[in-house]
Amino acid sequence: MGQIILGVGDYGASNAPGDDIKTFALGSCVSVIFLDPKTRAVGMAHIALPDSSINKAKATEKPGYFADTAIPALLELMAKSGCDKRGKGMVVKLCGGANVMDTNDTFQIGKRNALAIKKILWSFGMGAIAEDLGGNFSRTVSISVSAGQVTLSSPGKPNWQL
Amino acid sequence: MVTQINQQELQKIVKAVPMLSPSASRLLQITANPDHDLVEVVNLVKTDANLTARVLKVINSAAFGMANQITSIDRAIAYLGERIIISIAIGDSAGKLFGKELSGYEAAGGDLWKHDLRAAIAAREVVAQSGLDISTELAFTAGLLHDIGKALISDYLQGSVTEAVALISQEEQPHDYLAAEKKLVGFDHTEAGYELAKAWQLPDELAEVIRYHHEPARANEEYRALVYAVHLGDNIAMMGGFGTGADSMRYKLDPGYVNYIKLSPNTLENIMLTVDMEFEKLEESFSDSGEKN
Repeated sequence: MGQIILGVGDYGASNAPGDDIKTFALGSCVSVIFLDPKTRAVGMAHIALPDSSINKAKATEKPGYFADTAIPALLELMAKSGCDKRGKGMVVKLCGGANVMDTNDTFQIGKRNALAIKKILWSFGMGAIAEDLGGNFSRTVSISVSAGQVTLSSPGKPNWQL
Repeated sequence: MVTQINQQELQKIVKAVPMLSPSASRLLQITANPDHDLVEVVNLVKTDANLTARVLKVINSAAFGMANQITSIDRAIAYLGERIIISIAIGDSAGKLFGKELSGYEAAGGDLWKHDLRAAIAAREVVAQSGLDISTELAFTAGLLHDIGKALISDYLQGSVTEAVALISQEEQPHDYLAAEKKLVGFDHTEAGYELAKAWQLPDELAEVIRYHHEPARANEEYRALVYAVHLGDNIAMMGGFGTGADSMRYKLDPGYVNYIKLSPNTLENIMLTVDMEFEKLEESFSDSGEKN
């Protein structure tokens, strides 16, 4: 029983009831959450950027950092607890991907992250059933393994569920 | 409780802040001059035994992975670069202010310093990777100092976060956090910071960054490119998840930066990645060497 804290570019999974997986202050980063109803395992990745082609070495060292390497890495990790290797039957939720108040596309990294993640998910035949993306505020997200409940928080707002 | 600040009170708050150490202050003066030489920095550090010891501790920390112990201050400074010397001097001299818990923003102790360090690295990278013709080291220093006003007004913003967020979210007249601060306590953090910059006698370009980092178009034209670089650096730090609590991401990005800084989406992503990597290394080197921040 414990709390697994994920930093930027980390990913983790657990099937131990009583565990929580948590990540703090998602700005333009996106948290991808997988819940497997069959094995009761949950997983999360804290993704910073859409595409690993800008730094292959970083992607090898920290696959959770980029959308295109994080999702296969998280699936592989969860397969160790008996989940389907291609994520069949997995429930997917997405949150984060905020953007600063900007009229210029260059700084919409939150949006580009979300789009890249959805594309990779589609390539596995997966799609999100719930998402809380965009806006101009930071989010902290946690998921409890036993309840499978995703809780979000942001300063100045009451907590909410996804 | 939220408390309005008047001009007289603001002066009192500023006066209560300890002055920078003479060497930190002099270091900022020297390095703001575009024609300065690294020798001037070395000579200054040598006059301050405490600073010299700190610099040697940082270079010999595990983060830099030196094969042999470095004992020469000349070599240490040449290797670390001005920006790290400045970080050490500021951290030593105003560490309490930078390390302060910003309860008015619901940010923990140390969050301001981390945000500043990331904004500093980002501002430096914006200048370096966009080929902007200003000093990368000055962009770093300016990034480090830009948000100092938050430490001055935070106590007065106590308990205001829900109201500030509500002000920002209202549809008819949306505020950014700067406008919310001004409405709630009478001054925003750039105005408060600017008063401290004057009291500390910071060089004009640094004072200008502190005052206009959210409204770069209003900055003196001479320093505007630098102000835009820090404006972007500040936003990049927030996007990377290192804000200072409730205000994170709740500011306007001035698209006018394109007149000064050429950035492709790819370059921006590279900058964000560099910020993560550099920050890890700097934090480790400061904590290894016993720096409080």
